[in-house]
Amino acid sequence: MNFGLEYKKVRRTGFTLLFLGGGILAAMVPILNMAVRSEMYLGLPGSPVRILMDANWQMMSMLNILLIVAGACLMYHIEYADNAVQRMRMLPMREYNLYLGKMVLMVLMCVVVLAIETAGTVFCAYHWFWTFADTETVWAELLKNFGYALLLLLPAALGSLVIASVCKNMWVSLGIGVICVFTATMLPTDNFVLSLFPFAMPFQLFAGTAVDTVRNFIIAAVIEVVLMGIAEILFLRVRRSLE
Amino acid sequence: MNFLSLVSIEAKKIRRSKILLILAAATVILWLPSIINADMNFGMQAEGISPEHNFLIQGFLGMAWFMFPASMVVSTVLLNMTERSNHGILKMLSLPINTAKLCLAKFVILLGLAAVQILLTVGMYFVSAGIASQTQDYDFILPPLFVFKEAGLIFVAAIPMMTFFWLLSVCIQTAIFSIGIGLASIVPSVLMINTKIWFVYPMSYPFFVITTEYGKLAENMTVEQVDLIPWIPVAVSVSIICLLISCLCFGRAERR
Repeated sequence: MNFGLEYKKVRRTGFTLLFLGGGILAAMVPILNMAVRSEMYLGLPGSPVRILMDANWQMMSMLNILLIVAGACLMYHIEYADNAVQRMRMLPMREYNLYLGKMVLMVLMCVVVLAIETAGTVFCAYHWFWTFADTETVWAELLKNFGYALLLLLPAALGSLVIASVCKNMWVSLGIGVICVFTATMLPTDNFVLSLFPFAMPFQLFAGTAVDTVRNFIIAAVIEVVLMGIAEILFLRVRRSLE
Repeated sequence: MNFLSLVSIEAKKIRRSKILLILAAATVILWLPSIINADMNFGMQAEGISPEHNFLIQGFLGMAWFMFPASMVVSTVLLNMTERSNHGILKMLSLPINTAKLCLAKFVILLGLAAVQILLTVGMYFVSAGIASQTQDYDFILPPLFVFKEAGLIFVAAIPMMTFFWLLSVCIQTAIFSIGIGLASIVPSVLMINTKIWFVYPMSYPFFVITTEYGKLAENMTVEQVDLIPWIPVAVSVSIICLLISCLCFGRAERR
């Protein structure tokens, strides 16, 4: 019920359209890249999925993460804009459920966006690399890649929701989100500890990473997701006791 | 009401918005890696750029690529939201003021925020160059005139981009679309500066200008000749068209 309610709230704000548009835009990145300069990539060694991800993932993940930050700001902006959140607090339910509902919606949207991007990559793999493409391995590789991407996207998604729930003004939460994304782009990618920063994780690639590193990142992502949930609970407690 | 007092009223409106804090935080984060990795500036013999120039240009590249345009998107959100929340815009529109003037006053504030952010960046540059000079025993501080010239170039090159962002935020009533389109339009600018038609894409101007400056300072890099002829007319006409449309559209949705 809660999730349905959240969906109804964002129905007329263009939220779904934004995520669909963003997903299509990100899916266009590999297609355009291949259409313009396919000769640069066709001769490279390695599987087609890996070549495509290496070439385009930076830009695609950048779009994903900006999309998530903007979406999270919007979801809490509609609560704070006309004091709707005060009515939500009056209802016989925990305020934390608000966060959970938004979280479910956000995760669902991430799945949709990544599915669109997968479709774009599949199209590239079949259209330009069809001579090398081995159907089953391509699909297995793609599923692994995008499943991993989804998991690493979650800490950033939940983190930006926490930021958005803290700030009453949309520009403050958007500003903090933008600063976080900017910090993530400045961090060196070869340092494991620094790349655990939630907003830097979505830039990680599955293809071409050692199994150990992948496992470490998965564990770190799960821990960060739990930490974000706890942070939101603590924040709500503190705010309630202070107000 | 004359234009100057309109601008000062707009400036008062954003006084308590904490936007300066956000802009300042972004500039601090921009220069931190430069201080930590200051020793990397000495390994640029292949490009033939001197360490102190490299220190400045790398920081400015980071700013012109993402931080500065994204901060400007946030600023347009701020200028819009302060009016729209609690229907302040309705009260402004009921006053006997020319709406186009009001729109331009807000745009001047946006230009002011941009200037503030660039000045903050320059200020932080001198601080971080001072720190790096101490840690590396090498004088990283460049003459202020040169630094201000580079910063001024970024500012002037960013004006068409800001008119575009301003157009987005005025004409698109759904806030999320103007933010989404604004942020998404920053990302491809890296690709656009390498194409022949970069001058039709206002979002790539600041980054392009700094890249060419980098090429000029580095002896061993081939300098791309900047053709002013298609660029300047295109940039000026983009700015004028964007400002004109935003002035015409300003407050239209509320007046209906």
